[in-house]
Amino acid sequence: MKLYEYEGKRLFSLVNIPVPRGQVVRSPVHVQGKVVVKSQLLEGGRGKRGLVRVTEDSYGTIEELMKEGVNTFLIEEFVPHSREIYLSAMMDRETGNPMIVASPFGGINIEESKDVRTFVIPIDRKLMRYDIDAVEKYVGYRGLSSVIEGLLRLILEYDAELAEINPLAITENGPLALDSKVILDDNALYRHEELLKELQREKVPTDSYVELEGDVGIIGNGAGLTMATMDLVKLMGGNPADFLDVGGGADTEKVASAVIRVGSNPRVRKIVINIFGGITRCDEVAKGIVEAYQKVNKPIYVRLTGTNEEEGKKILQSHGIRVYEDALSAIGDALRS
Amino acid sequence: MMLKYGTKIVAGVTPGKGGTEVNGVPVYDTVREALKEHEIDASIIFVPARFASEAAYEAVDAGIKLITVITEHIPVIDVARFVRYAKVRGTRIIGPNCPGLIVPGESLLGILPAKYFRKGTVGIVSRSGTLTYEVSHLVGDMGQSTVIGIGGDPIVGTSLQEVVQEFDQDERTEAIVIIGEIGGTMEERVAQLKREGKIRKPIVGYIAGLTAPREKRMGHAGAVVYMGMGTFESKIEAFKKADIPVAKTPYEIRDILTKVVRK
Repeated sequence: MKLYEYEGKRLFSLVNIPVPRGQVVRSPVHVQGKVVVKSQLLEGGRGKRGLVRVTEDSYGTIEELMKEGVNTFLIEEFVPHSREIYLSAMMDRETGNPMIVASPFGGINIEESKDVRTFVIPIDRKLMRYDIDAVEKYVGYRGLSSVIEGLLRLILEYDAELAEINPLAITENGPLALDSKVILDDNALYRHEELLKELQREKVPTDSYVELEGDVGIIGNGAGLTMATMDLVKLMGGNPADFLDVGGGADTEKVASAVIRVGSNPRVRKIVINIFGGITRCDEVAKGIVEAYQKVNKPIYVRLTGTNEEEGKKILQSHGIRVYEDALSAIGDALRS
Repeated sequence: MMLKYGTKIVAGVTPGKGGTEVNGVPVYDTVREALKEHEIDASIIFVPARFASEAAYEAVDAGIKLITVITEHIPVIDVARFVRYAKVRGTRIIGPNCPGLIVPGESLLGILPAKYFRKGTVGIVSRSGTLTYEVSHLVGDMGQSTVIGIGGDPIVGTSLQEVVQEFDQDERTEAIVIIGEIGGTMEERVAQLKREGKIRKPIVGYIAGLTAPREKRMGHAGAVVYMGMGTFESKIEAFKKADIPVAKTPYEIRDILTKVVRK
């Protein structure tokens, strides 16, 4: 679950990472002096899009931004600072340990920068003075211990997948997190119910839907197979509209709601469904597709292999839905139509 | 399913169900109790995510040397901790979030549908489930020596590179198929080993996720690109540099295999 900047900063405060003074508002307000008005959106690149503004007229700025469709704002004190650095924490997938990612330059695009180093902190011991020392020497600033410790706590105690400060400002009074990007592990949300309540967030549904820009709806069972189906559509000259993995052992109801979900995207003109059943029963899948087909009313091309395959095919054919032996021919027909 | 395939299942463990039987297999309350009555080489964990870590620790503490964790949705920190705990104690974990492994014609430790596999010479290692069944099915008459799904989580007990190295030593494996996906750097590590000459046998690679956007999780917890690490492009480039032929689609894997094996 990706958090808004102000939610991430609330978490920063909980683990003693200093943040600027600020308030969250949903309508224009007057604030004395120079402030930063920050649109609260989950997408990145807000600065480039002009959605973060330094101003002495908070009221007017918020009014303008509301016209652009933004509805939540973080208003923060303007903080003069001498330099910016980059710090984040995440799990190192290779070694299975948490790591600190650091750069002496803040505000950068970390993906493209060459000035980035990672510092692995073994999971079977706590953070040590020499870990902090190594990071501080690399970025060339002393006084990061509470920030590093806080980032690490977000990973280990709050189940964050990513906790990023970009930039971390160096001020007269020490470091200050000017921005936050925090993503929590969806699988661990069950043990942070109080936090979610405080943030007024519901637990996200564990549905795997990801929307893309094309017009061919994609449903599959299994993440790899579904991705492969998306990729095939692209390689064969089409454009996938989404990724939706119904998972193992999907029943009629789950399949029907998946087809409706994909079919109700106005951009979708046709739907490709790729099912390779292991524990999934093809007759159940077919019934779900038929049920949704009547509501969605867009052409559906189904590849169906696995348990009770013959029954499944009969059900689909008797309702005029095309069934195929392999994904290539299903996608081929879908793209030609 | 595993029983039907000839896997010798000697015991089941479900707390509170000790003393009962399932399909003629005795059930115990704890792994230790099961070990008093039977010799056990491997264990398979199907329990729900919230209890799966405890089941893993229990099997490690009982001294079992191979544990397959099928369960999906275990918090990543918990996985990191029990994987480390097992490794230090000499236990191998496969998974979590995996279909397990099959040695066609011999045994099955997992949920792979047996009818799509047949005894042969291709070793298949994969981060996926159903896509693995699909590829095994497509490999057809060449058959498989062993098929292992290592799991779709960001941190797994057994890596792609470990399995590839074992296939390289395995007498029954002539060629290796890697079914990778976006996220992480395991595919890049395999490519590095190949470049360094540490893997002798031919490898064919396939990567899912050409069309996956950044920072979006594609079904598997591990299929996500953060900070530009483990992109589709980086994996394909690594394979190419290591002279590992790449199949653009699963349907090309068999053709490429026949070419590399003939060489």
